[in-house]
Amino acid sequence: MIHVRQLTKHYADLKRGKVFALGGVSFDAMPGQIYGLLGPNGAGKTTVLRILSTVLRPSQGTATINGFDVVTQPSLVRHQIGFMSANTAVYDRMTAWEMVEYFGRLYGLADEPLRERMENLFTRLQMNEIRDVLGAKMSTGMKQKVSIARAIVHDPPVLIFDEATSGLDVLVARALLKTVSELRDNGKCIVFSTHIMREAEKLCDRIAIMHRGHILAEGTFGELCQRHDESDLEELFFSLIHEHDRTHEPDGSANPMASRAS
Amino acid sequence: MKWSNVKLILVREIRDQLRDRRTLFMIAVLPLVLYPLLGMSFFQVAQFMREHAIRVLVLGAPHSPDLPPLVQEDRFSNNLFADPFAAQLLHLTLRDLPADEGPRQDPLAEARREMREGNFEVVVYFPPNFVSQFERFHSALLHHGTPEGDSQASEAELQVPRIEIFPNLSKEASKAAHRRVAGVLDRWRDEIGQQNLKDTQLPPATAKPFEITTLDVAEEGQHKAAAWSKILPFVLLIWALTGAFYPAIDLCAGEKERGTLETLLSSPAERIEIVWGKLLTIMIFSMATATLNLASLAVTGSFILGQLPLMPEFGPPPGLAILWLLIALVPVSALFSALCLALAAFARSTKEGQYYLMPLVLVTMPLTILPMSPGVELSLGNSLIPVTGVVLLLRAMLEGNYLAALPFIPIVVAVTLCCCWLAIRWATNQFNNESVLFRESERWDVGLWVKHLLRDREATPSFGEAMFCGVLILLIKFFMSFSLDVGNLAVAAAVTQLVVIATPALLMTIMLTRSPAQTLLLRKPPLAAVAAAVLLAVALHPTVNVLQVIVNHVYPLDERLAEQLKGMTAGLDNMWVLFLVLAVMPAICEEVAFRGFILSGFRRMGHKWTAIVLSSIFFGASHALFQQSLIACLLGAVIAFLAIQTGSLLPGVLFHVVHNSLALFVGQLKPYLEDDQHWLHWLMRGASEEGQLYHWPVVIGSLLAAGAILSWFHRLPYARTAEESLQEAIEHQSARWMPS
Repeated sequence: MIHVRQLTKHYADLKRGKVFALGGVSFDAMPGQIYGLLGPNGAGKTTVLRILSTVLRPSQGTATINGFDVVTQPSLVRHQIGFMSANTAVYDRMTAWEMVEYFGRLYGLADEPLRERMENLFTRLQMNEIRDVLGAKMSTGMKQKVSIARAIVHDPPVLIFDEATSGLDVLVARALLKTVSELRDNGKCIVFSTHIMREAEKLCDRIAIMHRGHILAEGTFGELCQRHDESDLEELFFSLIHEHDRTHEPDGSANPMASRAS
Repeated sequence: MKWSNVKLILVREIRDQLRDRRTLFMIAVLPLVLYPLLGMSFFQVAQFMREHAIRVLVLGAPHSPDLPPLVQEDRFSNNLFADPFAAQLLHLTLRDLPADEGPRQDPLAEARREMREGNFEVVVYFPPNFVSQFERFHSALLHHGTPEGDSQASEAELQVPRIEIFPNLSKEASKAAHRRVAGVLDRWRDEIGQQNLKDTQLPPATAKPFEITTLDVAEEGQHKAAAWSKILPFVLLIWALTGAFYPAIDLCAGEKERGTLETLLSSPAERIEIVWGKLLTIMIFSMATATLNLASLAVTGSFILGQLPLMPEFGPPPGLAILWLLIALVPVSALFSALCLALAAFARSTKEGQYYLMPLVLVTMPLTILPMSPGVELSLGNSLIPVTGVVLLLRAMLEGNYLAALPFIPIVVAVTLCCCWLAIRWATNQFNNESVLFRESERWDVGLWVKHLLRDREATPSFGEAMFCGVLILLIKFFMSFSLDVGNLAVAAAVTQLVVIATPALLMTIMLTRSPAQTLLLRKPPLAAVAAAVLLAVALHPTVNVLQVIVNHVYPLDERLAEQLKGMTAGLDNMWVLFLVLAVMPAICEEVAFRGFILSGFRRMGHKWTAIVLSSIFFGASHALFQQSLIACLLGAVIAFLAIQTGSLLPGVLFHVVHNSLALFVGQLKPYLEDDQHWLHWLMRGASEEGQLYHWPVVIGSLLAAGAILSWFHRLPYARTAEESLQEAIEHQSARWMPS
C-alpha cells in the first residue's frame, strides 16, 4: 500500500550547509495496519509524512501510495490519502459542516453520497452539536474532530496522522486513538507518527523508531523486544538513541536536529 | 485543471472574506464614508484658503492728486478689485521712505530682511522719485506733438517710473501674494493709462486697438468628460490595487499563519486550481472595491463640485464613462490581483505581507501618474507600457475619441494579458515552491549567506541567481552609459560586451555553479543543428528587416541621437574590426550571459517557455535603444529556443554572428543595387537607406522557410532539466489515470 524507499530530504542552511532532515528512510505499510513512526521532536517524522502527503518533495528516493508516485503523480496520491497533522488547522470562519463539505467536494464527491457520508460521520464522531459552530469558536477537541472528519470524508484507503494527539487532553486523545483503531479495523492503511511511547505501543501494529532522519529499528512491538532483548519500549527507545548518538557523533555536540553533509 | 474545483475554492474564499469584518470595512464601509467626509473637509479647507489674508509691505506709497488713488487707509483702493471683498484680504503696511535726497537705501536688502523674518508675504517698492518722474512724463506727454511744446520730447522726459515687487517665489503663499499684488498694480496702471489717454484727448481704444474674445468650441459635456477622465482612472487604479492587496494577504500569508494552507495543499486540489480560485477571489474584491469607490466618488463629487462656482460645468460623470471604466477594470484588477497574490504567497505572515505594499505602490504609481502628465497621449509607444496603456486608452474612451482609441485596443489588451500571464505564472510558481510555502525565519547574515552560496552551489544557477545576474547586467550597463564617454563605437561596444555583459555572467558561473559546462551549455551540438541555425539566421533576416522598418516608423529615432550614432560609426571603415566588434563579440558575450547563465537559471523553474520569455526580456532590456530592444527581445526568444532544443550554446552563437553580420554588411550591397541589371534586384529593392530592403515575396518566402526550420528544431529531442521533467510528469499525471 505504502512503499517508501531510501527517502532523503535535505535543506540548505546558511550556517551548516546542506542539512539532512531525512537520510534514507525505507519502510512499507499495509492495509489493515497502523504503522507507527516513533521518535523525538526533529527526528524527521513530519518530513516523511509531508512527503507522503505530497506537500514536500523528496531530494532523493521514492515513495508510492497505492501505486502512485508522490513526486510525479501528486494529485492522484492526494486522492488516496487523508492527511491530518498538528499543522493542518481548520478554517476560523467556516462551520464544521461547511468545512467537511468543502473538502468532500474537493475530493470530487457528488451531492447525495457526500451528504449521506457526512451525516454518518457527524453521528459517528459525535459532532452533530458543533455542526454550525465556526472554527474560531471551537475547542481544541472539537477542531480535532473536524480535522478527522475532513481527512476521512472521502473514505480514502490511506490515512496519515502526524502527531495527531499533541495538545489534546486525555479524554479527547483517547477518543481519537479509538477512532484510529476503528479505521484500521475497517481495512485502512494508516501511518501514525508520535513521540508518545504509550500510544505507539498500544496502537501500532508495526513501529519504526526514528532519530535524526534515520530509522533505527523497525518491526512489531514483539519483534523489537525480542531483537533488542528489552521488554519496555521506553527503555528500548532510549538505548537505541544513545547507541546511535554515541556511534555517529562521539562529541555529542552537534545539533540534534540534523547531521552535516559529508 | 478542473474548473469545478476552482469554483469551489472561489466560493469558499469569497464567503470567508465576507465573514471578515476588516474586509467588509475596506470594501464596503470605507468608500461609502470616505468621500462624503473628504468632501466636507474640502469645504472646510476651501473656506480657510479663501480667507487667508496676505501681508504686504508697501515702501514709499505714492500720493499725488494727479494719480488715481492706489491706497486708501491701509488697503488697496476698492475699485482695483473685481471682487471688492478681496481688498480686505490684502493687509498693507505702509512705510514711507526717507526724503528723496537722502542716501538711497537698498530696497532688496530691506525686502529680504522683512521676508526672512516672516513679517510679509510680499514687498512692493515705489522709488522716491516715482511721483516726480510720473509728473515729468505726464507733462511731457501733454505737450508731446503739440505746436506749443517741443515736438521732440527728450528721452529722459518720456522715461516712465518703475515699481519693484519682491516676492519669494519658492514659497507658495508668497507666489499667490505676488500674483494678487501684481494684478492690483496692473489695474492701477490701466486706470492711469486711460486717464492719460483722456488727458491727451485720445480715444480709450488707442491703447487697446482690438478686443480678444475666446470662444470654447468644446461641446456640451466635453469639459465634464475631460475633467472626469483625469480623476476616475486614477481612483479606479488605486482602489483596484488596494482592494486586491488586503484580501491577497489574508488569503495567502493569513492562511499560512492560521495553519490552514497545509490542509488545503494536502487536499486533491491542484496548485494551479488553488491559485486560480484565490486569484479570482482577489479579483472580485479588487473590482468590488474599485466599483464602490467609483460610485461613491461620482455621487459625492457631482454633489460637491456642482456647488462650486468655479466649476459649473461639473455634474455627474457621463453614463457611458462608467461602462468603459467597468470594462477596463477587469484586466487591471486581474493584473494587480496576480501581482498581489504572488507577493502574498511569498510572505510568511500577514505582517510581512503588509511590508510589500509599499514597493508595489512605488512600482505601479508612476505607471498610473504618467498618463496624467500633460502631453502624454495615447500612442503606440505609450500603449505598450503596462497599466499606462490601459489608463490612456480609458481616457480616450471617456473623452469620446472612440475612433482614435480603437486601433490601440488589441495592443493594450495583448500587453495586459501578457503581464497577467507572467504574474499568474509567478504566483503559481510560488505555490509550487516548498521553500516559499514552508519558509521559516532564520538568522540572516551577509557573510554566512555568501559562504552558503559558494559552498552549497549546485550544477546550474538557481532562479534567483539568474535574476540577480540579469538585473546586475542592466544596472552596470545603466551606470556605464553615464561614465563611458568614448567617441569610438568600436571601443565602446567592446568594453560594454566584455565588462558589462560577459564578465558578471562568467564570474557568477565560476563562483556559483558546480558545472560551468552544463550552465553555459558547452556541448558539441549535432552538425545539422549548426547548419540549421545559420540557415535560420539568413531566413529570418528579411523579416527582421521589415520589423525594423515598422518599429522605426512607429517609434521614430530622435534626430539628434540618429546623428550621434552616425557620427560614431562614421570613422569605422575596417570591415574586419566591425565584424569582430559588432558581430563576433556580442554573439559570444551575450550568448554566454543570456542563453548561458541566465537561461540555465530560469529553466530551474521547470517551464521552458517561461524561461525563454523571461531571458529574452532581459536580453531586450540590455540594449541601449528601445527600438533595438523590441527586435532583440524577439530574436532572444528564437536563440533561447535554439539553445534549449540543441542543448548547446554554439548554434545560438552562430545564429547571432550571422544575424549581426547580415545587418552590418547588407549596406555594402548598395553599389551593386545601383546597377539595374544586377541579379540582386531579384531579392532586393534599391530603396532608400531607411526603407525595406527585400521584395515582399522574398520576405514571405523566407519567413515560411524560417518556420520550417524552427519546426525542425521543435522536433529535436531536447535534454530537459530535472525540474522540466518533473513538471511534464505532473502535467500528464491525470491523463494517465482518470479518477472514478
